[in-house]
Amino acid sequence: MAESFWIGLIFAAPILGFLINGFNFRSKNYKLAGTVGTLAVATSFVSALALFSKLVSLPEAERVITHSFFQWISVGNFHVDASFLVDQLSGVMILIITGVGSLIHLFSIGYMSHDERPAKYFAYLNLFIVNMLLLVLGENLLILFVGWEGVGLCSYLLIGFWFSDKEKAAAGMKAFITNRIGDAGLLIGMFLLFMLTGTLSVTEILAQGPFATEVTFGIVSFACLALFIGATGKSAQIPLYVWLPDAMAGPTPVSALIHAATMVTAGVYMITRLNPVFMAAPISMEIIAWVGALTALFAASIGITQWDIKKILAYSTVSQLGYMFLALGVGSFNGAMFHLMTHAFFKALMFLGSGSVIHAMHEEQDIRKMGALKKYMPITHVTFVLGWLAIIGMPPFAGFFSKDEILWMSWHSPMGSKTLWFIGLIAAGMTAFYMTRLMALTFWGKSRVPENVHPHESPISMTLPLIVLGVLSVVGGWLGIPHVIGDVFGHIPNILEHWYGPKIVPIPGLEQAVASHEYALMTISVLVAGASAFTAYVWYTKREDIPKAISEKAKPLHSLVFEKYRVDEFYEAKIIKPAIETGKGLWAFVDVAFIDKISYWITSYIKDSGGGLRLLQNGNLQQYAFYIVLGLLGSISYLILG
Amino acid sequence: MLLSLILFVPVIGAALVALMPNEKLVRPIALFASLVELGLALFLLQNFDSTTAAMQFVEKKEWIASFGINYFLGIDGISLWLVILTCFLTPIIIVGSWDSISERLKSFHVSLLVLQTAMLGTFLSLDMVLFYTFWELSLVPMYFMIGIWGGARRIYATVKFFIFTMFGSVFMLVAMISLLYLTKQQLGFYSASILDFYRLDIPYIRGAWLSPQTLMFIAFSLAFAIKVPMFPVHTWLPDAHTEAPTPGSVILAGVMLKMGTYGFMRFSIPLFPDAVEEWSWFFLFIGVVGMIYGSLVAMVQTDIKKLVAYSSVAHMGYVVLGLFALNSYGFSGALYQMLNHGISTGALFLLVGMIYDRTHSREIAKYGGLAKAMPIYSICFFIITLSSIAVPGTNGFIGEFLILMGTFISAPIFGILAVTGVVLGAAYMLWMFKRVFFGQEGELILKYKEHGGLKDLNPRELGLMVVMIVMVFWMGIFPKHFLDYSKESLDHLTENYGQYELSMKTDIKEQLTAQIER
Repeated sequence: MAESFWIGLIFAAPILGFLINGFNFRSKNYKLAGTVGTLAVATSFVSALALFSKLVSLPEAERVITHSFFQWISVGNFHVDASFLVDQLSGVMILIITGVGSLIHLFSIGYMSHDERPAKYFAYLNLFIVNMLLLVLGENLLILFVGWEGVGLCSYLLIGFWFSDKEKAAAGMKAFITNRIGDAGLLIGMFLLFMLTGTLSVTEILAQGPFATEVTFGIVSFACLALFIGATGKSAQIPLYVWLPDAMAGPTPVSALIHAATMVTAGVYMITRLNPVFMAAPISMEIIAWVGALTALFAASIGITQWDIKKILAYSTVSQLGYMFLALGVGSFNGAMFHLMTHAFFKALMFLGSGSVIHAMHEEQDIRKMGALKKYMPITHVTFVLGWLAIIGMPPFAGFFSKDEILWMSWHSPMGSKTLWFIGLIAAGMTAFYMTRLMALTFWGKSRVPENVHPHESPISMTLPLIVLGVLSVVGGWLGIPHVIGDVFGHIPNILEHWYGPKIVPIPGLEQAVASHEYALMTISVLVAGASAFTAYVWYTKREDIPKAISEKAKPLHSLVFEKYRVDEFYEAKIIKPAIETGKGLWAFVDVAFIDKISYWITSYIKDSGGGLRLLQNGNLQQYAFYIVLGLLGSISYLILG
Repeated sequence: MLLSLILFVPVIGAALVALMPNEKLVRPIALFASLVELGLALFLLQNFDSTTAAMQFVEKKEWIASFGINYFLGIDGISLWLVILTCFLTPIIIVGSWDSISERLKSFHVSLLVLQTAMLGTFLSLDMVLFYTFWELSLVPMYFMIGIWGGARRIYATVKFFIFTMFGSVFMLVAMISLLYLTKQQLGFYSASILDFYRLDIPYIRGAWLSPQTLMFIAFSLAFAIKVPMFPVHTWLPDAHTEAPTPGSVILAGVMLKMGTYGFMRFSIPLFPDAVEEWSWFFLFIGVVGMIYGSLVAMVQTDIKKLVAYSSVAHMGYVVLGLFALNSYGFSGALYQMLNHGISTGALFLLVGMIYDRTHSREIAKYGGLAKAMPIYSICFFIITLSSIAVPGTNGFIGEFLILMGTFISAPIFGILAVTGVVLGAAYMLWMFKRVFFGQEGELILKYKEHGGLKDLNPRELGLMVVMIVMVFWMGIFPKHFLDYSKESLDHLTENYGQYELSMKTDIKEQLTAQIER
């Protein structure tokens, strides 16, 4: 079948699902709503597979499928088509979005079975898929922006899904507004790109390459930095990450889909999409690498202190996204896209796993009230273990390969440095620590479950997605096996690197890798992760007094980290409050006390001089109109004729 | 003839309403007149020639011959959509006020229909004196609408509204007369035709305050700035809106404010291009200030309607920015934003009116949890909110994006400042939305819960909102359906505002007769 059919279908199915469930938003039939929603995304997944296989069948140099539906905007020299582009980058993305999306929709049927508004939930979830597909498939940056804001909107709706709770509604609003700050940056970036290239079409922009490298901070660097600000909003990087931990107010499958696997990676995707432009702006790239590395470290440190299972996973997501930006910044777009994929598998898995736990624990999210859940929830436990091994970077699980590539490249790439590698390594150690802590407190050790709660394993519709994602968390990394290891086992190719190759600008001045160095770094990172995982295991299953004693001893530091470095409080005091106060001040002192005072003065002057005319005022409408029209015509005639 | 018909059908409707002995027939007749009018407007749209920037459907009759003043009408791609918007909103307003206006029904509908004629007159006039007459005439019905059917402080609000606007108009009048004398000097005859004004070479000395062009530019722009309204002459608007009845607010925000921005497009920019180029930075500055100022003040309002009113100040700030970016993105965006604002703010005022009819309160603090009590209403409100904060897919995005891009290209600093409006706009709207619709049920909701709860939208109200929502998405997804009609006129303005001239499109019939005579 024609490509245009599949591109049409990939959008049409979830749009239809959105409309069906949207118009029945009052329906409480979660099975029907869930089936409609899941089938819609599954149809998209089939379309994605069809498009992807078409892509594979094309010769390597021609792997591009585009289709334009209609011209959207055309003003002056600015033309935007509603056109879509499937290539190596977006091809993989649509598979992840619709594939992981289908699993999460399926999981949601069970998860939302007790909810009052399941149809509304599935409608929003389908709408999210539509927008996410617009984002990755948009051939034009403005279409990407439509999806970009659209996913933000769906995120807002889903975070605030239980809007009767003020806090949850506030979390949704916070997400939207913080994202809008990023979007403002993205807009500026697009304007600059348009001024530079005269178009926003991705194909046309990239066709103008190769771009001359900017040694100083010029217009390209400015454009890239503005686009990166957009990315810090959507992908939760310093300083705009604050919305993501709060976003956990939404239903847990939403956290898995939107706030781990897909939407938050939009920034990584956007930068990779434009990698030839970014490579021309080394100063911006350095900023990206540093922001990424620091975010990875900063968020991981917060993760160590939290007690809410979802909050830990949320900070972990921020931290892992930081890794992806570190990879981007050192020019390893391949590494970033690789980690994006493996992270989508293992983090979606762990979020769904936590959803399974929360569901079993009757909405309890505090890991201090869990423990020894492995005997009640064997499938959830086993799959969670796979995710845990993947994220802490144990070979041969998925996260090992992708994280290792990032760490290696931040050391090896001329755009990276040993400091960046070291920060990444420390963050990896912290990751192993907090994830093991989470495992120990939730699944292992002694049970601290309250007596009135009886945890139970989730139904098959919920465990099946866990199993699939668990398998992917194991094998997903094998798509990107580094050459040094691949060579040992007889030339296993690095499939992903090869696949993305034509779309990615090589790093200039990259030296041939020395196998012994690569092995050495690999060993160091596995040892660091293993050691901190072991420490956490011992501390949180057998010697819980040790962490307690440490946090007592370093109380000021611990509470600073526990309170998330008080960044939210800082923003509240330094940005939000002043803005509101300014608004109040302007209203009271400029509008009311100043401008209006002047107008009163004029008014009373005119009133006084018009006192005699009051005789004519008798409240009759027609008469008023007559006088005024008469007066107008009279004065006009007088002025003109006289 | 078509334009005259469009211009006077509302007055005829008003006359019928006035003569009607039975009050019950007032609404149907007014609605019928407004629908006939809408039909005519759509007929006009269908026959509009989008391939030319020239004035179309031109009509000219002598009025005061000795001063070259004529009854002179015409339409081009700039005025076209404002005429359609006016004709679109009037039936909406009549249906919208079906239940809420019950006193002095006749006078109300007479005012409304006369107001429609006055507004259409300002958009259709090609004669300066005719334009001015309609411009001033439009004040009268609005004055009564607020003064008779308004809230508690209505007299204060009407006086303020009247005085602010009149103040600006006086200056415009003086400048207008000067232009009239200039035609005699330069062209050899008196003419109040705007098309003749365009041909004038208005003396200009760069940097001098007292050069005639600069003075006239300031005089015209002051009148328009007050109407828009731009900071700092905006303070009449929040009061007028708060006191006006719902239909008054809808028409005020929906159409009347656009008379100001239309004035900039039709008069200030093409007539005084040198002065415009010298002073555009100032208008960009004021536009940005108005946007940020309006947003910040909107954020702290406690009355929903006042919040929407201040949001109008912010949104109209965008329009001004677009206009003074002086490029095709800015002009197109500004024109589009005028229409968007008519739809989205018009709909917001309707929605605020609907809830006010039920609870008689607009105090944000007294609400909360409305989404549960009135789900359909909440969905409508939310979609309109999206349009107002310019989420892609809605009409608001197209206008805002083009304006921001236009501003950024001609003045990057103002462009960057203006982009902050994107954040602030979302902040004040969503914060209000959160407080009114989300959270626990508020005081008012609980009060009505005891009496069977608040009723969700009835079919009449829902019908209105569906029409508005369809427009929101239609304009957001297919902007070309709208902008293509204006493209020629906007391109013509962009390329030639320095030496602007407009021709008149002649009918084929006229062309033929002219050929035969030759």
